[in-house]
Amino acid sequence: MKELNPLLHSQLRLAIMSILMNVEEADFVYLKEKTEATSGNISVQLDKLASAEYIVVNKSFVGKKPRTTCRITDIGKEAFEEYINSLRSYLHL
Amino acid sequence: MERQKLNEKESLEIITSMISRTRNRLCMGDGDLLLLWGYITVCVATTIWALLYMTHHPAVNWLWFLIWIIGGITTPHISKKKRIKKGVKSYTDHLSDGIWSIIGWCALICTIICLVFLLFFSKDCWGMMLVFALTLIGIAEAIQGLIIKEKILIIGGGIGLTIGLITMACLIADITLYANWYMPLFIVAFTCMMIIPGHTLNYKAKRENERA
Repeated sequence: MKELNPLLHSQLRLAIMSILMNVEEADFVYLKEKTEATSGNISVQLDKLASAEYIVVNKSFVGKKPRTTCRITDIGKEAFEEYINSLRSYLHL
Repeated sequence: MERQKLNEKESLEIITSMISRTRNRLCMGDGDLLLLWGYITVCVATTIWALLYMTHHPAVNWLWFLIWIIGGITTPHISKKKRIKKGVKSYTDHLSDGIWSIIGWCALICTIICLVFLLFFSKDCWGMMLVFALTLIGIAEAIQGLIIKEKILIIGGGIGLTIGLITMACLIADITLYANWYMPLFIVAFTCMMIIPGHTLNYKAKRENERA
């Protein structure tokens, strides 16, 4: 059986990827609200996903406030689909 | 959250839960753009109607450009504010933005065509703008209603489209659109097409937010 992608097989990273698969882009506040995780934890996981090129993180300013938006890349989409297929085979779906 | 070991079933649960959390819900202010364009159009149309009644001077029709100026300046500001407040851009938002961008460009092209006809050939074809405003915007609104599954937008768009087609038939049949009957019809069309759906969307969003 195919091994589950360790980068995605983590609660928060999987949650972030599931959200980003479902929308075109989401900002940091939205991800924090939906995953109910702490800012620090989300930052770390976003960095990991971004270094694997699964997501693209954009930092900008709205007035004086910083705004971080994330969107999934094609590599990220492929990895997520592969992860789902492996899950299916594990669960015999 | 991060250190916890996941099993396959839990992974599936996380995915399902996140998908349901990102499900498209109405947000406060979703009807704001409809209200903006609706109220500007109705106010400008009423002003022009009143001025035409009082002065009988066709030059007051230049006031239609106020819709473009006020709407054009305010729309990007409201859209940006709404997007930041929402924190997310869904594929539905992407589709809606695309539809309304096409309508915006069509409106610009229509205006240029009418201006060219007037300035270079001394031909008045501004009636086309009325047909455009009612049919194309009506279709766009009905499509948006289908995308976000809101009946009020489909009905409103349908009313606008019908009045737009009546306008087109009148123009083709050389029936003069006199202000005393056409302006009230135009105002009713925009009220049904934009003001009522705009208030309905905001009311529904408010109710959903209170329940959540």
